[in-house]
Amino acid sequence: MHCMEPGGTRNSLSQLRRGAVEYCVLALLREGERYGFELVRKLSEVDGLVTSEGTIYPLLTRLRRDKLVTTFWRESEAGPPRRYYELTEEGREALAGFTQEWARFRDGVDGLLEQEGSR
Amino acid sequence: MTTVHQNALVADYLRRLERAAASLTRQRRAELVAEIQEHIDDALLEAGAADEVAVRNVLERLGAPEEIAAAAGPPTASPAGRAGRLEIAALVALAVPFVGWLVGIPLVLLSQAWKGRDKAIGVLLGLSPVFLGALVMTAGEGHSGPVGAPTDTPGSGVGPFEVSVLGLVILGGLVGAIFLAVRLRRDAEPRALEA
Repeated sequence: MHCMEPGGTRNSLSQLRRGAVEYCVLALLREGERYGFELVRKLSEVDGLVTSEGTIYPLLTRLRRDKLVTTFWRESEAGPPRRYYELTEEGREALAGFTQEWARFRDGVDGLLEQEGSR
Repeated sequence: MTTVHQNALVADYLRRLERAAASLTRQRRAELVAEIQEHIDDALLEAGAADEVAVRNVLERLGAPEEIAAAAGPPTASPAGRAGRLEIAALVALAVPFVGWLVGIPLVLLSQAWKGRDKAIGVLLGLSPVFLGALVMTAGEGHSGPVGAPTDTPGSGVGPFEVSVLGLVILGGLVGAIFLAVRLRRDAEPRALEA
């Protein structure tokens, strides 16, 4: 189907980003519930993590469908009620698992990249 | 002033999103558009301005509607709201009376492309003439023999009444299949006109 293209690097980077953002959302919910816009803002503050803020919303839906988060509505001081996201027990476990794996993955990749770069 | 312009920009953006998200189920699509709309409101509130520059900046940060729809696409679109081989086989089978229904009805129930309500309406619509026919037949044959007697029982030969009942039964299956096909197409079409 698709062969490697010049855009391949960008593509795999964006895939890596997408995979990591999921867990960043879970991490942001560790200390308590947040609403969609709040999550998007927090994620955008991290340089290079989110390129299109709008794509976070489908991701939130996916997390909800996978039962890693639950949602509920709460009145807001100004404007219509907001949908809040909250970590489930499953989400907490997934986050813990990823945190461990990520550290190994990051160290391994860093090690290789630095080694290759200094040769 | 600027409000007209702002609304036009936002409306145009949301329309593009609706079109791009055509492959999602109607419910999912409506939810996505509502979420993005809410985001735009929140972001403008945060910016403390709603002039053209503010709106353009908010939309810029959101990204292209097509990109958002694509992010919502593959995982949700394939199981729901799209006609696959399963749905087509189900519809073809439903159009064949009796034998086809044995295959078609389980397929419809298995499919994730229809909502539960549509499934129920489609199947009941398809079978309604059978129920009606059975009711009329039992009422009509009540005096001549046991219910469900074979058609070659003396006194119940094939007359115009039986032919019309059979015709209705076949028609019922077709109507059920057509209803389900229409529901499938309605869900697959872009709904930009409703905006």
